[in-house]
Amino acid sequence: MATRSNRTGTALQPPQDPAEPKPPPRGPKDRTRPAPSPGTRARTRRPRLWTWLLLPGTLWMTGFLVASLLLVATLALGTTDPLGNPRFGFDFANLTALADPAYSTVLLRSLGYALITCLISLAVAYPVAYAIALCGGRFKNLLIAAIVVPFFANYLVRMYGWSVVLSDDGPLLKALRAIGLADDGTKILQTGAGVIAGLVYGFVVFMIIPLYAAMERMDTSLIEAGRDLYGGPLRTFLFVTVPATRQGAAAGCVLVFLPAMGDFVSAQLMGGPDQIMIGNLIQDKFFQGQNWPLGSALTMLLMAVLFLGMLGYLRRTRKDEAEAAR
Amino acid sequence: MSTPQRRRRGAERRPRFAIAVTALFFVLLYLPVGVVVLFSFNAQKSLTVLDGVSFRWYTALLHDEVLLDSLGMSLRVSLVAMAGSLVLGVALALGLVRSRSRLGSFAGLIMLVPLITPEIVTGVAAMLLFKGLGITLSTTTVMLAEITFSISYVTVILRSRIAALNPEVEEAAMDLGATRGQALRLVTLPALLPSILASAVLIFALVFDDFVLAYFTTGVDPQPLSVRIYSAIRFGVQPTINAVGTLMLAGSIGLILLALAIPRLFGRRGGLDLLSGK
Repeated sequence: MATRSNRTGTALQPPQDPAEPKPPPRGPKDRTRPAPSPGTRARTRRPRLWTWLLLPGTLWMTGFLVASLLLVATLALGTTDPLGNPRFGFDFANLTALADPAYSTVLLRSLGYALITCLISLAVAYPVAYAIALCGGRFKNLLIAAIVVPFFANYLVRMYGWSVVLSDDGPLLKALRAIGLADDGTKILQTGAGVIAGLVYGFVVFMIIPLYAAMERMDTSLIEAGRDLYGGPLRTFLFVTVPATRQGAAAGCVLVFLPAMGDFVSAQLMGGPDQIMIGNLIQDKFFQGQNWPLGSALTMLLMAVLFLGMLGYLRRTRKDEAEAAR
Repeated sequence: MSTPQRRRRGAERRPRFAIAVTALFFVLLYLPVGVVVLFSFNAQKSLTVLDGVSFRWYTALLHDEVLLDSLGMSLRVSLVAMAGSLVLGVALALGLVRSRSRLGSFAGLIMLVPLITPEIVTGVAAMLLFKGLGITLSTTTVMLAEITFSISYVTVILRSRIAALNPEVEEAAMDLGATRGQALRLVTLPALLPSILASAVLIFALVFDDFVLAYFTTGVDPQPLSVRIYSAIRFGVQPTINAVGTLMLAGSIGLILLALAIPRLFGRRGGLDLLSGK
């Protein structure tokens, strides 16, 4: 790309401006250009216009997003007055209330469901990404598009259709009964398995896309080398393909885990009252319970868990990069 | 390089297991969508037994004032969010790529926040902000929240595209007498037009289908279509939802195909490639 744009670049090289110290002609990547002299460059090469363009968007995001998130953090320390109205304060009652076993059970369940969702998504996404990337041929893009398109259907409608499929006399259980894998009492809906099935259906695309991208980039001659060294398909997959694509898998896990932890639709439609996740608790505190400070505290708890997860991911990828650089 | 012998060996080693899983995956991926579409044409109310073909749920839809109001509101919200996030997002993306001020690194950081925060958190936060400011939740609050959410998408899509532009073409325009603003308006923005249009379509589809943010920021009446669907499927099965879902599905697929087609419509003709350096 650099060489090609260089060609256009030299053809369109502007005449020298005597007032302006002209750096040697380089590619379009201005950043790499050495600064001729710090003062003049800032004024002439990088006009204020670009900074001005940043301003409205930044102000908007600060006003609506940063401020609102700070508000949640502040209200988590607030209280409710006897009428149930939220009051700002400096009270740790909400945070200590989170230690209540009722909440920690829900948090642990949410963590468990989100982690299992990640694992199942990995188990589904690896073969799918592998088959499309390595055997897709010229249909690769079409197949990937076929995976992405239903994802753009309304989330609720997809979940609703999925709950119909999984229902007690829905097509899936009927088929399983026909081949003897399920009996009449087998249920998927109203169980934890139903919630996880919903989460996997909702977010597995986020696993497939980064894994597929990693497989596409992978040097397939490595796989051939594994075979030439008499590795069986499973060994080759475990010791060649998985290590080569683990960054895609890690990115996919983050992309699945984040929304799965925060989801409340799946637990509502696929699970019962005893399958609720932290998202349902938050929703309940804000709509039914009208205890906003407690809802804010739960939201902060969710954020804290996800932040720890992100931190782990970043450390992992940094270690990977350091290893790759060695 | 690969001899026929080797290719035959490769064919023997086709990952049958992976292909079987992929086939099963596609069946399960399309089954729920297929069920919704199929049963939207069912003559009966049942969700398990198909009993003749009819359009009764579609005609019922046409007479459902509440749903039509919701549809109208969702369309208005999507249009406003699209326009607002495009104006702010395009400017932000240009600034992020071209400016080297410290504001840029701050903007680049907060722009990522919506992408790594679960929607329920941004939804709760937006609701608290509006309530805290004493603003009654309404169509306007949904619009404001959706704009905030969409700016990140516009910026992410356009950022790489702007980085690929050749800034020397702009400089050439300025050497020919254009001001910085004219160069931006007459050279850079037309070059970005396909990407801007594609992200516009994408934002429209995303906002129209969005549920969580709309759920937390909407007032009583009218409610966005997805929120209306949510209450409908929570309280008893209504076959009209199949019809609504089918229409939304068709709309979304149409928009996605449009977004994919836009760069192609502009094609490799015209001066666009010269500018993009591709």
